[in-house]
Amino acid sequence: MTVVEDATDLLSPRARRRRLLRKRLARRPFALLGFAVAAIFILAAIFAPWVAPYSASATDFNAVLAKPSWDHLLGTDELGRDILSRIIWGARASIQAGVLATCLAMAIGVPIGLVAGYYRGWIDPVISRVTDVVLAFPFLILAVGLAAIMGPSLLNATIALGVGAAPGFVRVARGETLALREEDYVRAAIANGAGDTTIIFRHIVPNMTSTLLVQATVTIPAAIIGEAVLSFLGLGVQPPTPSWGVMLADAQSYLSQAPRLAVYPGLAIFFCALAFNLLGDGLRDALDPRTTR
Amino acid sequence: MADTLLDVRDLSVRFETDDGTTQAVDELSFTLAEGEVLGVVGESGCGKSVTMLSLLRLLPPTAEVSGSARFGGIDLLAASSAQLKRIRGREISFVFQEPMTSLNPSFTVGRQVAEVLQRHLGYSRKAAGARAVELLDLVRIPAPESRVDEYPHQLSGGMRQRVMIAIALACDPKILIADEPTTALDVTIQAGILDLMRDIRDRLGTAIVLITHNLGVVADIADRVIVMYAGRKAEEAPVHELYEHPQHPYTIGLLGAIPRRGVDRLQEIPGLVPRLSEPLPYCAFAERCPRADRRSRSEVPQLREVRPAHLVACFHPGSE
Amino acid sequence: MTAPPPVLEVEGLVKHFHVGPQLTGGGGIVQAVDGVSLTIGPGELVGLVGESGSGKSTVGNCIVRLVEPTDGTIRILGTDVTHLSRREMRPLRRDVHMVFQDPYSSLNPRMTTGAIVGEPLRLHGIAKRRSLEQRVVSLFEQVGLRPELRHRYPHELSGGQRQRVGLARALSVQPSLLIADEPVSALDVSVQASILNLLRDLQRDLGFSCLFITHDLATVEFLCDRVAVMYLGKIVEEAATDELFAAPLHPYTQALLSAAVVADPAAQRARTRVVLEGDVPSPLAPPSGCRFRTRCPLAEESAPESVEVEPLLEEVAAGHSVACHLVHRQREAAQLLDLASEPA
Repeated sequence: MTVVEDATDLLSPRARRRRLLRKRLARRPFALLGFAVAAIFILAAIFAPWVAPYSASATDFNAVLAKPSWDHLLGTDELGRDILSRIIWGARASIQAGVLATCLAMAIGVPIGLVAGYYRGWIDPVISRVTDVVLAFPFLILAVGLAAIMGPSLLNATIALGVGAAPGFVRVARGETLALREEDYVRAAIANGAGDTTIIFRHIVPNMTSTLLVQATVTIPAAIIGEAVLSFLGLGVQPPTPSWGVMLADAQSYLSQAPRLAVYPGLAIFFCALAFNLLGDGLRDALDPRTTR
Repeated sequence: MADTLLDVRDLSVRFETDDGTTQAVDELSFTLAEGEVLGVVGESGCGKSVTMLSLLRLLPPTAEVSGSARFGGIDLLAASSAQLKRIRGREISFVFQEPMTSLNPSFTVGRQVAEVLQRHLGYSRKAAGARAVELLDLVRIPAPESRVDEYPHQLSGGMRQRVMIAIALACDPKILIADEPTTALDVTIQAGILDLMRDIRDRLGTAIVLITHNLGVVADIADRVIVMYAGRKAEEAPVHELYEHPQHPYTIGLLGAIPRRGVDRLQEIPGLVPRLSEPLPYCAFAERCPRADRRSRSEVPQLREVRPAHLVACFHPGSE
Repeated sequence: MTAPPPVLEVEGLVKHFHVGPQLTGGGGIVQAVDGVSLTIGPGELVGLVGESGSGKSTVGNCIVRLVEPTDGTIRILGTDVTHLSRREMRPLRRDVHMVFQDPYSSLNPRMTTGAIVGEPLRLHGIAKRRSLEQRVVSLFEQVGLRPELRHRYPHELSGGQRQRVGLARALSVQPSLLIADEPVSALDVSVQASILNLLRDLQRDLGFSCLFITHDLATVEFLCDRVAVMYLGKIVEEAATDELFAAPLHPYTQALLSAAVVADPAAQRARTRVVLEGDVPSPLAPPSGCRFRTRCPLAEESAPESVEVEPLLEEVAAGHSVACHLVHRQREAAQLLDLASEPA
């Protein structure tokens, strides 16, 4: 019996894949920029108590609507609160909503998509049509509607956003499942007598993780903007908890006097969402085996 | 003696990728004469496709090509983009393996043939349409007048390959390079395509480079054969000579590996094709060769003529 | 003494696929397999040969029950498995295993090769942990792979190595029947040779039966005891390998054999070829009567009944069956001659 030589690298497979991914990401400056900025926002949110110069609700009626100065780098709002600190504290609501809503969307959407794609039969058309109907609603309208029904709070806003984003995951999970089902190794597993659970959890789910990851990095910015909108409308975060959306709402009355009250939170929303978007784009490109660099 | 159409000298191709560098072709030289059918044989990774693609600069930007390839008085590897555009599809054409993906599914077959005529030879729309029908007839597609208006998905694999050949022949090229043209086709269809290629060579005098891993296909229509291994030429000989008196242990191994009746075991070549990141300073086949010795593992064997018109790059050539 | 029961008995297997409406026209029925009968005895290597559209892969898929047959019966080791539910099939799955064509997609990229090979053992509860590990190691050695490779992932192995892993997985539970669907078509010639040798050696050592599905006649010639030739969902000829290659009776078999290229320039160029006209008809609308008649060089002139009447697969010599009107007529004529020449 001939013993065959192997032609493998010395590195373990995971380390090699990670190294390759790192190299490919390194070649995409926008993705790295997105990663850096997103990281900044996330760290700001986590370490707010240490990073923010003031607390979010510390008022100072001596320095109302103050221009940026060394004391208050971005100035103060109508109640004398430090804008920079409120932005840093506000990042908490945004990142929380963004990440948790996405997790919820995944938790709801992926199992449904899996069932639709794997079992097909009568359940697939039903799930697909329902998903299509939900997707027909603009994401924000849906979230607003749900939040209005549930009552205003950050938690309810997060849930509403999660539910609104779930159909996106249903679609992705269903598509991946349909494709992966036809792979030879799945057929081999079926032919070997593997049960449905084994096939789904051992063979299908592990092979769709990169696609789901990409979908997640695209959903997060949508949820961030969504939270800002909901809070702006008063359906999300309730005062005194800071949120960029609330800051925008409050800034409306002072637009002529101090536009910066709106500009700074607006820029925060913009850059935070953009950062995650760029990161998601870059990840999608880097993970796609067809792109050569 | 027919004229030399293509003269390739010391062609080398390197790929710089994320995974490192790969030396795909190492100082390969060969010629192609007018009206000749040259078979380039080797297994995956030997560099046969890369060699041909490099001639027309059809490789991805990660490829570094060096050497020279003289054709029609110019060096293809140093030619300008404008010069190459004139040559591609017009004087040197390609036929690829997968006819389904090589044809545009959104246009009729006739339109795709006509497009080449319009672009390269300046035919009018009407004239190109008429010539397209003629070309489809040339490649033996039955009822070409009606086929001309069909879309690729309406044709079978064999028909599509014939269309590809028609497109390749539209401008009456001097060289037709066919990269595994029949590998994706059924056996009975393959026979028809090979017959067609033979016919093309006989009637039009087109030189053909046939790249394949199938030694049977080469035995069918090639005049001369080059056997490649790890980016180098291992053996080169006229077709009958190669099959009757193979000299290189790799060629002998390949011939012995072909399944046939009556043998108890097929010949195996132990080990794997090496993935080289730079040219090997010794015989690339040494690790798998039953005849390898110290010399094979320290020097690069040069091509020598061991029998009339029969070249081998080996320190221990000889039929067993 | 009774003969041992056949490992596989397929009778009148039919598989029709419903295809939805397409760009070119309304929906239809793909008659992939239309009445195939086949028997494989213990330790027999049977080749199933056909070109694309012949339905040979579908036959394999039906036997392994990856696909539900539309009609007919499949019996494995005497048990009728045609319409068993997934749960009922499970214990029987031990007896039949499949090896796939594509060495790249037949292994889960997220599992180590050791886990892949051990999966059937685990699924059937045959071995656990340490004994499982030992079993996997010995399987790797049996297929000629270094046992250390069991910790690697499929993409780190070559095509030939992956195919060996596929074989190890298929043989792990010592099946009685192995269905090999184009197992070497995606491999290089020299690697093909080693896998074919391996298959032959394993079959001799372990004694399983094998249905070898392929389009490559040369591999069948080397490996198989018997061959069945399929065209558009039906078996057109079946015989012992030597006999089929020496004296093919069906015009399609003859065309197939003459079209196959031989690695011998002198012989190859000297051969006269039977060239088939036209394309393979679509399995959505196979020709009436004899399905091969549209491409048969003899049908129009010599067998007008082939338009209406389908030729049946009948035995014309010991162990040699053909489905062709012309062959049947010749045989009848020969029989009549025999009768006529017998002394009264």
